[in-house]
This record gives sequence, structure tokens and C-alpha cells, in this order.
Amino acid sequence: MPILDTPRAWYKRWLRRRIPPSQSVTLNQRRIFILPTGYGLLFLAVAAALFIGGINYENNLLLTFSFFLASLFNVAIWHTFRNLSGVTLQAGGMREGFAGSAGALEVRLVSHVRHGHTGLWLQWPGSVEREVSVKAKEQQAVWLDVDLPKRGKVFAERLRVETRFPLGLLRAWSSVDLDHWCLAWPRPIESVECPAGGGDDDEGEHSRSEGNEDFDGIRPYVPGDSLRSIHWKSLAREQGLNTKLFSDPSEGRRWLDWDRLQGLDPENKLSRLCWWLLELDRSNNPYGLRLPDTEIPPAIGPEHKQQMLRVLALYGES
Amino acid sequence: MARVYQVPQHAFIWLMTGAVMASLPHFLTGPAWLPLFVITTQVWRILVQRGRLRMPAKITRAVVLVGAVAGTLYTYGTLLGPEAGIVLLVCTFNLKLLEMFKLRDAYVAIVLCYFVIATALLSRQDLLISLYVFAVLGVITAALIGINQPEANIRARQQLKYSLVLVLQAMPLMIFLFFVVPRVPPLWDLPIQKKGAKTGMSDSMAPGEVSSLSRSAALAFRVDFKGEPPPPEERYWRGLTYSWFDGTRWSQAVPNDLPQAEYMAYPGERNRDWYREVQRQQVGKKYNYQIILEPTRRRWLFALVTPFTEQRGIAFARDSRLINADPVRDVLAYRVESFTEMPRGENIPDWEKAFNLRLPEEGNGRTRSLAQRWRTEAGSDEAFIRKALSWFREEEFYYSLEPPLLTGQQIDDFLFRTRTGFCEHYASSFAFMLRSVGIPARIVAGYQGGELNPLGTHLLVRQYDAHAWVEAWLPGKGWQEFDPTAMVAPERVRLGLAAALEAQNDESFATFNDLVGISGLPLLKDFMSALDYAEFQWLKLVVDYDTDAQKGVLQKLLGDVSPMRIALLIGAGLGVVAAAMGLLLFWQSRSVPLNWWEKEYWALYKGLQKKGIPVSDDLGPLALARLATAHSATSQPAAKAWLRLYNDAAYRTAYQDKTTSGVALSSEDRRNRLKLRKFRKEMLRLI
Repeated sequence: MPILDTPRAWYKRWLRRRIPPSQSVTLNQRRIFILPTGYGLLFLAVAAALFIGGINYENNLLLTFSFFLASLFNVAIWHTFRNLSGVTLQAGGMREGFAGSAGALEVRLVSHVRHGHTGLWLQWPGSVEREVSVKAKEQQAVWLDVDLPKRGKVFAERLRVETRFPLGLLRAWSSVDLDHWCLAWPRPIESVECPAGGGDDDEGEHSRSEGNEDFDGIRPYVPGDSLRSIHWKSLAREQGLNTKLFSDPSEGRRWLDWDRLQGLDPENKLSRLCWWLLELDRSNNPYGLRLPDTEIPPAIGPEHKQQMLRVLALYGES
Repeated sequence: MARVYQVPQHAFIWLMTGAVMASLPHFLTGPAWLPLFVITTQVWRILVQRGRLRMPAKITRAVVLVGAVAGTLYTYGTLLGPEAGIVLLVCTFNLKLLEMFKLRDAYVAIVLCYFVIATALLSRQDLLISLYVFAVLGVITAALIGINQPEANIRARQQLKYSLVLVLQAMPLMIFLFFVVPRVPPLWDLPIQKKGAKTGMSDSMAPGEVSSLSRSAALAFRVDFKGEPPPPEERYWRGLTYSWFDGTRWSQAVPNDLPQAEYMAYPGERNRDWYREVQRQQVGKKYNYQIILEPTRRRWLFALVTPFTEQRGIAFARDSRLINADPVRDVLAYRVESFTEMPRGENIPDWEKAFNLRLPEEGNGRTRSLAQRWRTEAGSDEAFIRKALSWFREEEFYYSLEPPLLTGQQIDDFLFRTRTGFCEHYASSFAFMLRSVGIPARIVAGYQGGELNPLGTHLLVRQYDAHAWVEAWLPGKGWQEFDPTAMVAPERVRLGLAAALEAQNDESFATFNDLVGISGLPLLKDFMSALDYAEFQWLKLVVDYDTDAQKGVLQKLLGDVSPMRIALLIGAGLGVVAAAMGLLLFWQSRSVPLNWWEKEYWALYKGLQKKGIPVSDDLGPLALARLATAHSATSQPAAKAWLRLYNDAAYRTAYQDKTTSGVALSSEDRRNRLKLRKFRKEMLRLI
């Protein structure tokens, strides 16, 4: 720990005490900050110029005009504040991505109060802003991209919620930690040799289970079946959604095995397993996974793929 | 090129309306090319918005700007000073509309727009322009709201509505600040030149000049009396005196070698002997009133005889008049105390006597000899004056707005040939007669009469009330007023010009009626007087709210006025406004009240929490019920019953009536609520 805190670190700690992380944060006077924008200052400068003009020409109406501008600014403080006040921010869903690319997190905005919230800008530091408006008593959801620098759980930084509505003269903002994370899968790294045990060792017997190689008839679709194995022709004949049955290839199912990758650091191992996992999924080969602490039996399909990726992403993390 | 910022359509409507409305008042005061410039840029801007044209290139904008600067320089000969500054401001603002590439530019244009409409108040401050400016404020603020609302599917009307809310909420603080923020004296002097010829009285008078002034119904000034106004025949509003006569023309003059201190005294210079003598004689009937004078671009002010004022910048002149330090460019209000029966100038210096006796050596011989004959017959100055006035009354003299032209020896020609004249003819010939027999005399020019507004206590004095009369100096009595016109047409002083012309059966009465025009119609007349009343109150209360008036208000509020107390008052006012706004905010930010079944949901939520079961906001009623069953299978029947009742209440009631809050519960609802509570308690007991 550094002896002298930078102001930034000090500010972060202060913010953490003031607005502690929570999955659901309602913005109120404790959590909203407000300051004039550059235009607000320009506006006040015009008011000041008119005040001087009014004094100088002993023109009461010009003075009144300058008082009006000052007064409108004052009203704008309240309205800008109100626009942000009373909205609840909730952590929502997530869309995972590979490390090095971007994922997305959902933020739900709920209005429990009698007025709407117009023109709220949401942003993680350093990413693209999104604008959203919430009507009174309604809710809205926004997906925000998150950079995923490393594999595993990537915790989002504090979310900046800002509004300049109605007049743009003031900026009211808050910075909330929704205790929100996005899962980053390992970055796939190509490798020549498949780190998998072939089917001949483990499953020599040519089984009549639902393999993937040779077409062997159809059965009704069950959720989780790969879209690639849907029997589209029967759908066209209006016989409902059916899945093609294949008999397994001679080499049988593959086990992607951690232990087959030697002399590599764990992240590299995970990356290669990930690449092969995607490759096998693409070529419709059933695959399983053996990690030092987990074992997932071979299967195929989008749900299986998701599960495998999640296991790889969370390897070594609680 | 980067993407060009597009003003949202709903905001654009208000932006352009605001731009047109803010530029419009400047068309009246600015140069002739200004409307052309403004309309061109605005039409261009609209075509850009519609995608027909592109924003002008940088070079084009620069050329147009140089053109505007050159035009201003050509019109005013300078770029400095308020008039040129305003024209440049209007041009730059309209040009800024054509330089809108970023959101920033839209902001700058709107802030400039506030500035543009504010400067319209430099040349006019009446009620009409004030209401207009107020309307423009609403529109500009709507545009400002619009550019902060980037969504496309918004109706422009909503922004105007919101803008009016903001503008109205800004009013209380504005009014408060208006009354209490201390007025500071001007920092520098840079007068605003205003277009328009000088209207009203001029500093000299020849036959036919006052009558031409009387062809205007324009307002000269308004008078607000504290108490009863004087009767019509005593309403002689003195403006200036003419002491120099050259045979045809009377002019305002003082002897060349006379120092200013001898005939003018500003407040603070009141220790002069002649002024002290005037002040000593403050006796007789007193009138207290405030005059609100329309701009005359002249320095003299109008008042009843022997006027006193303590207002800064107004001097008392030796001939019992008030003179402003500067030409009156804006509406000017001044408070006067007049003593109408006060003796004036009982002991005047010899130079003053001699100055008011001077006549050309030659000319108008018949008048001179007639006057001298009467003087000898009469035996005294007073008797002579009576004789001359009765002559005007009894001989065949006529009062007319369109008198025949005079030729040759003008006074002889009038008195012995045409005998038809307006007030200046009678005043001029009467003063000539007085001087020719050695009575010091001068002409007084001003207004006579005034129309009482039926709604208020104030008088309206119009240009057609212009009048000229005579003052003669009599030993032991000082200056006395005489109005020969009143001898010829007594209706003039009692009932006004229209009545006098009508009584004289003069054909110029028709001319006068044309002048008054349709505003003479009864209904319209009522409306006009109501409008005038509002305008007058506006001028009195707002436009001319000055340091003195402020002192009065502050004294009422604070008792003793000190900077500390003013600061406290402003602080307190701001506090009250802040509290009111906070209260409003609190009121509007109340949570939406919960329905009875929603309250039941939260009761279960808290109940589970108390049992140590982790719950979170995003769990619905179903999830809560499942959580309960998961922790204790025995609670399942209660949970099921609870859920069924809950769903029934939430969905059936919501379907029947969406706004259930505040609606009285039906007996069925009440029963269901009790059941729901029972099942919840049972559920929680079993966990």
C-alpha cells in the first residue's frame, strides 16, 4: 500500500464508503452529485453581463431579465436533480465473451416515483455512452459493453449515471457499483495437436447411441439439441421439429484433457482447450472435458458448449 | 468529415421560432438591411434542416460576417456603442444558426438567443414588449429542453409545456430579486441613441406650430396624483418659457452673460439666494404627483406651477420649471410637489424685467398704438390687462385648428384681419401687447388639460393637449398667468380641444375626429383605457422602480435598512425559495403507493428475511413462495394458497382497474386480504 494516497484513490475510497456496492441502488440526495456544465457557466455569464447592462442603463427590465436567467438556473438545479432522483439501478443479465474482446452487462432502471427520468447517460469509464429514458413507474433495460481484459470474472467498474436534462446547464451524476461481473472465456489459442483421448481407447464398442457421424433416422426435438442436427426437411413437410440421429464415428467421443497439455502455464492450457472445444463443436464432434478438479461427460449442442466454456472461464476461481 | 450534429426536429421548431421572435423587435430599431440579412440566414437554415442545402462553407461564413460588420460600420460609422453592438449581435446570432456542426454550437446559439431578446429591452420597456419577451423566453427555453432530449419520437408541444413550468417556477425568485437586489449607480456612461424625431414642444414657437402638434394623439405623459387631481381649468402643465421675440418667432432664451448658477439649481446646489427666496414662499394649495414622461429627447420636464422635486439629476429653473440633466431618451418618472397659489418672483432683478420687455424696434404698429391707447385709458396695468382680455372675449375672434396663413406684419394681420387662430396666435399677440406697454411678459408653452383614466387616478396628457399661454409680471404680485385663448374658447380649458372645436363649429373638428379615429368608439375606448391603466401601472411599478422606491419597500420589510439586513433578507428569500422547491421536489418524488397485495408481498419478503433466508428484490411472488417451500415442505399448502390468492388479486384487479391506489376496497378485497395475511403467517410459522 502506498504511503501517500493519490487523490484519485482517496476519492475512490470515499465513494465506496458513500455508495457501497450493491446489486440494486436507488439514487437519492446522498448519492447524487450536481455541478454546472460549461454551458451553465456561459449562461450565468450572460446573466451577469445583462445585470451590468441593466445597472448601467438604469434599465429595470434588463435587470429583471438577468434575475430571470439566474432564477431559471436555480430552477434547473432542482429539475436536473429530480430527473436523476428516485431511479433504481439494478444489476441484470450478462453476455459472456472471450478474454481480450468485449462482453455485455445488463443494467435495469426502475422508476418507483411519480416523475419520469429523461435522457440518462450510462457509461463504464472508458467505454461508449448509452442514453436511456425511463417513464414514471416503468422500467427499462440497457445492455452496456464491457471490456474483458482477462479470463474469469471481470468485475465492472463503477457505473457512471449522468443527466443534463432539462436545460443542460447542470450535470447531475452518480457513480454506482452494482457488484456486477461479466464472465470472460479463455482467449482461444490454436494448437496443432488435439489434447484429447480418442474414442478407440475408451469406447471401442460401436454403440447405437445418438452419435454425430452417420445419419441414422430422426426423433422429436428436445431443447438443447444442436440447431445443426435439426431435420429441416421434416419441418418443411409440417411433421414438426425433429432432430436427426447419427451413429457415432469410429473414434467415438473425445475427452479434452488438461493433463495432455504439458509444459504450459494454466492460462495457455485453458486457451488451447477452448480453441479445441470450439473446433470440435464446429465439426459436430461430441466432446467431454477433464480438468484437475472437474469432469464433464461428452455431449454436443449449444447448452453443452456454454457449460464447457463457463467451466473453463471459472477454472481456478470460486 | 465528422458526423454533423443534427438538431432534433422537435427542438428545431422551437429554435427557429425563438430565432425569428428574438430578431423581430430589432427590425424596428436596426438598419434597413437587417431584416434581409436575418431572413436570408434563417431561410437558409431551414433548407439545411430539410436537406435541401448544405451548411455554408467556412469561407462563405467569413464573407457574410465581414459583410455584416461592414454594413454595421456603414450604418453607424462605428462598431462600438450599444446600437452597433446590438446589430452585430443579431447578425452573429443568425449566422451561428448556419454554423451548427456540434451540440455545442446549438447550446451557444440558444444562449446567444437569450442575449438577443434581452437587448430588445434597451430600446423599449413598455408592457407589450415585456409580455413579448416573456413569450420568447418560453420558446427559447423549450428549444433548450429540446436539444437535451435526443429521442426522436417526442412531441414539440411537451417541451413548450415543460418550458412554461420552468419559466413560471422561476418567477417568484425573479420577482423577489427584482425588489431587493440593491441598485448600484451606473458604471460608465454610454448613451443609447434612439431612432425617431424629437416630438412635442420645441424651444421656439411661431404661429401654426402648436396647432400642427395638436394633430397628434400620441401620448405626452401620464400623471398620477396622490389625492384629488386639480380641476381641468387649473391643469396648466408648464414646459418651457419663451422670452425672446423677433417679430414672428418666440424663442427660449436667457441673457448671454448670465452664469448658469443664476437660473438653474440642481439638488445639492440649493443654497443659492434666488432659490432660497423661491423656497421661502412655499404656500398655498399643494399637489403631490408623479409624472411619467414619454421620451422627448429634450431636457425640459412638465409640471404644474412652482414645482419642487428632490430627484437626482433634475434642476429647478428660475422661471419655475424643471429641467433634466440629460435629454429624456427613455420613459422618465419624476415625483413633484407643486404649490399652485404660491407668489412667484415678487422681486425680480432688473435684467429679468428688461429681458422680458424686449421687442423688435419696428413692426406691428397698429397693435402697439391700440395697446398704448388702452393703457392710457385704463390707468393701471391690471385694468389694461382686463381691458385687453375682455376685448378678446367680446370681439369676433375664432378658435381654429386650421387658421388662415398670416402675411406681412403678423400680429397686426391676425388681430385686425384674420381673427382666426390657435392658442399660439392669441398668446403671442397678447404678450406683444403687454410688452409694448411696458409690462414684462413671456409665453409659456406646455400642455393644458388631460383626460382622466376611468380605471385609475391618473391623467393622460396627449400631444393634442399642447397649449401656449402668457405670464405677465406685475409689481407687488410677481408673475401671473393669463390665458387669452380661454377668453375666445372657454371650452378649451374646461373640456379640452375636441369640445372647443365643436363649440366653435370649426370645420377642423372633422380633422380632429379623424385623428382620434376608431379609438373613439365606446367599447374600444373602454378597452384602450384598461390597456392604458395596465401600461401605466407597469411603468410606475416596474420600469421606474428606482432607488427611492426600493428604499420604501425595504423600509417596509426591514424597518431599518442596513447592508447587513439586506444581505440577511436576500439570504432568507433564497432560503424560502430553496425550501419551496425542495418541498415540491419531495412531493413529486414520493414513491408510488403500494396496493394491498403488494404490501402483502413485501410483508412476506421481510418475513423470510427475518427467518434468515436470503432474498433479493428481483424475486417475484412465485419465487418467494418456492423459497418458503424449499425451506419447509410442510408450508407448501399455505404457500400454494397464498400464491393463488396473490395472483388472483394482482391480475384480476389490475385488469379491472389500473389505478387502484386510492380506490376504496370492496368487501371481497378485504376478505381476500385477511386470508392472504393468514396464509402468510402460517407459511412463516412452519419454516
